[in-house]
Amino acid sequence: MNGVAIITLILGLGLIAWLSARAKAMRLAPAASQTGDRSRKRPLLHSLPSYHGWYAALWVLGPALVFLAIWANVMPGLVTGRVLQDPAAAALPMDAMSRSAILSEARNIAQGNAQAAFDPRANALIEPYRSANRFYSLGGALAALMLALAGGAFAFTRIRPDFRARTKVERVVMSALLLASLIAIVTTVGIVGSLLWESLRFFSMVSPLDFLFGLKWSPQSAAMGYGNENAFGAVPLFWGTIFIGAIIAMFVAIPLGLMSAIYLTQYAKPAARAWLKPMLEVLAGVPTVVYGYFAALTIAPNMRDFAAWIGIHNASSESALAAGLVMGVMIIPFVSSMADDSINSVPQSMRDGSLAMGATTSETIRQVLIPAALPGVVGGVLLAVSRAIGETMIVVMAAGLAANLTLNPFASVTTVTTQIVQLLTGDQEFDSAKTLAAFALGLVLFVVTLLLNIVALQVVKRYREAYE
Amino acid sequence: MNAPVSPDALRRQPTDWKGDAMRKRIASRYASERRFRRIGLAAILMSAGFLAYLMISMLSGGLGGFTRTEIAVRVDFPKAPIVIDPASLRGEGAEAVLSSVNWQALTDQAATSALGKDGAWIAPGAWLVVRDAVKADPAILQKSVTLHLPASAELDVAAKSEGQPAAEAAYARLEKAGLTSRAINWDFLTSSDGTDPTQVGIWGAFKGSLLTMAVTLLLSFPVGVLAALYLEEYAPRNRWTDMIEVSINNLAAVPSIIFGLLGLAVFLNVLHLPRSAALVGGLTLALMTMPVIVIAGRNAIKAVPPSIRDAALGIGASPIQVVFHHVLPLALPGIMTGTIIGMARALGETAPLLMIGMRAFIASPPGGITDPATVLPVQIFLWSDEVSKGFVEKTSAAIIVLLLFLLSMNSIAIYLRNKFERRW
Repeated sequence: MNGVAIITLILGLGLIAWLSARAKAMRLAPAASQTGDRSRKRPLLHSLPSYHGWYAALWVLGPALVFLAIWANVMPGLVTGRVLQDPAAAALPMDAMSRSAILSEARNIAQGNAQAAFDPRANALIEPYRSANRFYSLGGALAALMLALAGGAFAFTRIRPDFRARTKVERVVMSALLLASLIAIVTTVGIVGSLLWESLRFFSMVSPLDFLFGLKWSPQSAAMGYGNENAFGAVPLFWGTIFIGAIIAMFVAIPLGLMSAIYLTQYAKPAARAWLKPMLEVLAGVPTVVYGYFAALTIAPNMRDFAAWIGIHNASSESALAAGLVMGVMIIPFVSSMADDSINSVPQSMRDGSLAMGATTSETIRQVLIPAALPGVVGGVLLAVSRAIGETMIVVMAAGLAANLTLNPFASVTTVTTQIVQLLTGDQEFDSAKTLAAFALGLVLFVVTLLLNIVALQVVKRYREAYE
Repeated sequence: MNAPVSPDALRRQPTDWKGDAMRKRIASRYASERRFRRIGLAAILMSAGFLAYLMISMLSGGLGGFTRTEIAVRVDFPKAPIVIDPASLRGEGAEAVLSSVNWQALTDQAATSALGKDGAWIAPGAWLVVRDAVKADPAILQKSVTLHLPASAELDVAAKSEGQPAAEAAYARLEKAGLTSRAINWDFLTSSDGTDPTQVGIWGAFKGSLLTMAVTLLLSFPVGVLAALYLEEYAPRNRWTDMIEVSINNLAAVPSIIFGLLGLAVFLNVLHLPRSAALVGGLTLALMTMPVIVIAGRNAIKAVPPSIRDAALGIGASPIQVVFHHVLPLALPGIMTGTIIGMARALGETAPLLMIGMRAFIASPPGGITDPATVLPVQIFLWSDEVSKGFVEKTSAAIIVLLLFLLSMNSIAIYLRNKFERRW
């Protein structure tokens, strides 16, 4: 019996339990004409009938589904154990490697995942596997059904007018709510744990100091067996990331984003704003792979031609400038909306005061609004930087792979995210320093973006409080 | 230390607004005001211009990807080296009869006899058109018919833009003979990835995207809504709640590639879920989307006025009933808007899916969530890496499809917001 069928069956049982428990509760309830009558024979129900239904349904579904989940994890071990007791298994070789290879081959054929075995010795084990599988899956299904029926029967006997079904059901709902919100913590722990664990394995091969301060990045040479020394110096990557994400991109995003926000909040008529603001939001909604394609196909060749035109001849077709410019455009809406928020939260009285003194609108903006909104704007820019350095697809497609330490925007640089993608695609042996380096880079990226976010949010928060 | 000030200077004069110096000063202040305003307008127009440039370059490059160049070829079935009884194609077993024929040879021969050496410019997959024509109407087997066969990638590029010299020359000859035409390439919408740009399509990637999104939605929406309800309505103010809030806010700002690393380390290497599958992609994106839904959901729940809760509590509803019968239905439009926006972001996401191996070459649409699959943005990334020039317009065409899809999702979100938003 396969998994879908048994789960459908149990869900069906749950529905039956819900209906019959509700019906039973309804029969227990006093008729509508009696409810106001003090001399009625039957007591009032504590809970509405549907809560009795839910109570029974939960008792049917809960234990059975939990049992099935556990069984699905335990069953493969039991099946293998039973197969090994089969006389055909006695012919298996003793060494663990080929033994488990044959076993998994036989298992795949028995489950229909593979057609034929490479190793003829696996053929003898297919039939034992099939029978063991049948035995345990049938057993599991029967046990789950028994549990469902037992749970239902237990719940059914407890239905009485004074039974507090609602309280019990609500307790279950409450724990579901709590569990759902704990998933966020589990995810955070998962991220930190997996990054730390793999990074520690990496740092057992490469010293953290070499990694953080080394100037030479060439994981290929390490993979080819030239040793891990001097191959994993990540400084060129950090520089490339900062150069593209925090310098070139911000040269585009800060002026354009800030001026857009000023124009939208201070000058634009409401009708114009109704069109221009969504347009900026569209810019934020374009997928990054589209920006990357655009940068690589349209902007980068133009940049190279431009460099040749102004007399730089060794310009790369994967220049930092192309990736940075496009990333800057991607960040514009982000900077603009943060600046919009902080300009809007400057008290109206400050602006009115300045205008009343005879200042023009632009003087008010430059000398009153911007200085007052500056902490908020700075916080927004920090958030934008953290967004830019974590951005992947634009740099993967438009920036190069050469780890250069250069100030020349027409040269090719590489970034942390590009290298993570580069290291983890293609053939993966999970214990090589080359693969694990990606996790160390990921850890650095995670920590840096986290710090930027914390600092930025603190700045913005303190600034908001100053005006409240 | 101050210089002695003459008493004249200390006597205050009223400002002479009509004087030359003052007029000039005011004029320059107004000029700078106008300048500043123009700079602001220029900034926003530059952003708009960039958006327009991007859209126009995608449209101009990509619309050609939805069409293909076809060459009219006269196929003389009675003389062709195949023997099929048309009657055998009408009943049972037609598929077996069709698959027993060497259509490739038939097509090549027909093309060579009709076009001479230009017959080589027929696409490698052109025989599919011949087979489908016979399948649709077996009667043509006794006739000589003109079929419009797709041209090869090189000729297609030559027809639409600059191609190789040989292909350009061939196209000029064929065009002069009046044999070429342009038709909508339905295969682009119905087939999957391939090696020949004339045969590739986006259906496989599109289906992969749909499956991945389904997994993401099924996981992140219930969890996100429940978490938002808990945090907004029930959570006690203590250290645990603070930790949950901090981690949700941080998760919303973590770079997407980090989620890819998590998926690789946990879902693939620890839990041994199938590589490249929509299931793992959906799980990874669900972790990424969940914080977005929680944050949007909390804002929507916060916007429901307390009087609703008080009234419900006042007539004897339990706290759970208050929330599930009254607060949640009122907050749902806001939650849906946030969810659609989060899903749109997840749909355009590429980097985390590269990490979990969804960049494999998948030539057939996935049948379920555990089959190897790829998604639209990753397909775009893969095609953008192809050397063949025919893939350029296919990439742009796929981008157009992706953008249209995102646009419609966002329009639905805006529509929902406008229709159901209530100000209390």
